[in-house]
Amino acid sequence: MRGGERLTSETAFEEIQRHYQQRDLAAREWRGNGGKVVGYFCDAVPEEMILAAGLFAIRLSGDPHGKTDVARQNVIPRFTNREDFVHSILNMLLTGEYDFLDYLVIPHTRDSIHRLYQLIAMMKDSDPSLNLPELFFLDSVHTTFFSGGLYNRDRMLELKESLEEWSGKEITSEALSRAINITNENKALLKRVASLRAAEPPCISGVEALQIISSSMFMLKEEHNKLLRGFLDGADKFPVRNGIRLFVSGSPLDSLQLFEIIESCGATIVADDNCWGNRYSNVPIDTSLDPFEAIADRYHNRSPCSRMYPMSRRLEHCLQNIMEAKAQGVVFNVFRHDAAEIWEIPDKTKALEEKRIPSVYFRNQPYLITEPEPLKTSIGELIETIQRSQ
Amino acid sequence: MTSERGAAQLESANAIRAYQREWLEDTRQRVKQGEPFAICNGDEFEEVFNIMDIPVIVINYWNSIIATKRMTEYYGDVLINRGYPANYFAMGLASTIDNNPETAPWGGLPKPALIIGGTKSDTEMKVLEIWAREYGCPFFPLDFGLDAVPELPKYPPPPRWWEMMADHWDELIDPRRLDLRVEEEKALINFIEVTTGRKLSMAKLEQGLELLNEQEILWGKARDLIAETIPCPVSLRDQLAVYQAQWHRGTIRGRDFIKAYYEEVKERVEKGVAACPNEKLRLMWMAGTPPSWAKWAEEEYGAVCVASLFSSIPIDSYYRATINGDVMRALASRHMVLFLETPDWRLKDAEIHQCNGVVETANPSIPSFNKQLFEEAGMPLCQIPRDRDDEEVRAILSDFIETRLLS
Ligand code: SF4
Repeated sequence: MRGGERLTSETAFEEIQRHYQQRDLAAREWRGNGGKVVGYFCDAVPEEMILAAGLFAIRLSGDPHGKTDVARQNVIPRFTNREDFVHSILNMLLTGEYDFLDYLVIPHTRDSIHRLYQLIAMMKDSDPSLNLPELFFLDSVHTTFFSGGLYNRDRMLELKESLEEWSGKEITSEALSRAINITNENKALLKRVASLRAAEPPCISGVEALQIISSSMFMLKEEHNKLLRGFLDGADKFPVRNGIRLFVSGSPLDSLQLFEIIESCGATIVADDNCWGNRYSNVPIDTSLDPFEAIADRYHNRSPCSRMYPMSRRLEHCLQNIMEAKAQGVVFNVFRHDAAEIWEIPDKTKALEEKRIPSVYFRNQPYLITEPEPLKTSIGELIETIQRSQ
Repeated sequence: MTSERGAAQLESANAIRAYQREWLEDTRQRVKQGEPFAICNGDEFEEVFNIMDIPVIVINYWNSIIATKRMTEYYGDVLINRGYPANYFAMGLASTIDNNPETAPWGGLPKPALIIGGTKSDTEMKVLEIWAREYGCPFFPLDFGLDAVPELPKYPPPPRWWEMMADHWDELIDPRRLDLRVEEEKALINFIEVTTGRKLSMAKLEQGLELLNEQEILWGKARDLIAETIPCPVSLRDQLAVYQAQWHRGTIRGRDFIKAYYEEVKERVEKGVAACPNEKLRLMWMAGTPPSWAKWAEEEYGAVCVASLFSSIPIDSYYRATINGDVMRALASRHMVLFLETPDWRLKDAEIHQCNGVVETANPSIPSFNKQLFEEAGMPLCQIPRDRDDEEVRAILSDFIETRLLS
């Protein structure tokens, strides 16, 4: 994108796609210009603080098509949760695909993620020649009580101190407020994307939305905001989509495969409750509070991730979003050994039955979908069920 | 006392076995008569219930009762029918969902006053929440339960960490996490008092924890005698049977069980009684139940399993000194970190028990946690695919004993 050029909706989207596909593009460029890069996992790490420190924040993702051979030689037996994803990430870390990371923040979230801290720390210890980033473990509780909130807040203060050390400068309240404004704007723009996607009829597909939302986690936020504004400028001309309105719930999705398969059957994924999707932009930061406290508060009380207690909150969140998006059917997708997700599905299915919303459940799914046909057949059947009931 | 086949079972072990049956029946009756009871995850709070005289069903223990009744497959199907995975940790939940007094152990558990568990794993937190909902009772989640990783301010754990666990556990546990855990446990005790009407005082808690420590020290002394005496005075079967006394820690009875055990082991050592008079080789068995091939290995090679995964847990893990007079902190510390599963700890046990070799079950596709370190330390390690006394396992063990231990 050349400077000064007015963005058309198409070029903005192409740029977004480019960053979705080449996830390291912006980070490498930043580093090439002498900046430092902080990687993180999950939507549990406050990007605002990283931004306020003048560092580049990038959420790490795996690659279902990528290799896993190097990781497999290093994984200790206790890794059984979502091992495909874990292997993929580790392989990328060990083979230099993430060699642009200066620091890596690992939050205490689902087992497959937080255990990476111990594993990577051990690897670093046993082989100092490995080019692995400096680690920070962002501890947090899995309950959402007041005392836990205080605990999390203290850990965020420690993260803030580390970021200050890494960047060599203090993170002021003003810098935090500025960063909050940028990320809040991002969330507000993404909410507009969410409403166009859930509009009747929708004019953004799930596949497009997932790229738009996820790319926010791979880019400089201001740049992403610019692209989003350019993209949304042409919203009145977006072609409308017909077809059945579906909602996708389940394991975190850092690739497009599942959405592509579902939408290739003629449906539109009007919303999701995924941390790579709508959940990322659901809850803005309260600008009426002290900026640091507001950040700590937001991350403690954000839309519930599947690793949080209580499950009832997850169920409510999922149902509310299904209803708001006027979804006609739901697809549950759970990766093999995703213990955080698997116990929730029966409750959700039951609640949907009571509301007469049909659903399909893809369980024990591989990280890389190699056999899309059975999934397509199920989606086809779901669509038919919905059509028959219309 | 010694027969051809070795020493008879320990009286102290038999007493514990018998009491455990009695305890189960007594608990069942108390619970039936409407006494408040709790369901709690193992090693996470049950000594407090013991001290408060509240019957408590420990989840892993309840699951093992279900397994003993050969109900796991049936309950697995119950879970699957509800859309859940057939997970072993969820067997208790399955028995509640099934709600069939005819087939359930104890005729099924009545409604507990509360369920307590950690948020420590993806599975545990969810299963317990669902279970409590099935009963319509509260679930009290505790953060940073046992085995949550990473527990330490620093990885990897310091070498010989087990020597720090008794008196310097504060250096092994993240103090920030411990602060919160102490707060949560205090809140939980309040909650238990409100829900059950039972009371706890510092005097009672202190007394209970002292008894607990005494119990673990006596256990450690018995372990030392077993480790240093050749031939081994106590069969692995008895060593492991005694382990049930751990569920009664914090009580006079729990302490006295292990006192009797220690005295009996000492008496055997003084009299030179051997568990297996034919002992020629000593093995460590990396599991918590006696191996099915033990008798065969003893008769064929005089190879005796003298140590297991549980040999040192009482003294290395449960015992906690109170530091700076903070009893709650010592208590919570045990609930946060019991032990760290590191190969050097297991190697130490094989060495102090004067083992010639170690046997573990292993999945050949997963790299062994222990193999490299053991072999480098000159401790031969044999991997068998499963614990079954069959031809294949015997052939692997024979080969190991003949080529690595006897040659
Ligand atoms: S759902 Fe899983 S991947 Fe997403 S934020 Fe939560 S723990 Fe992380």
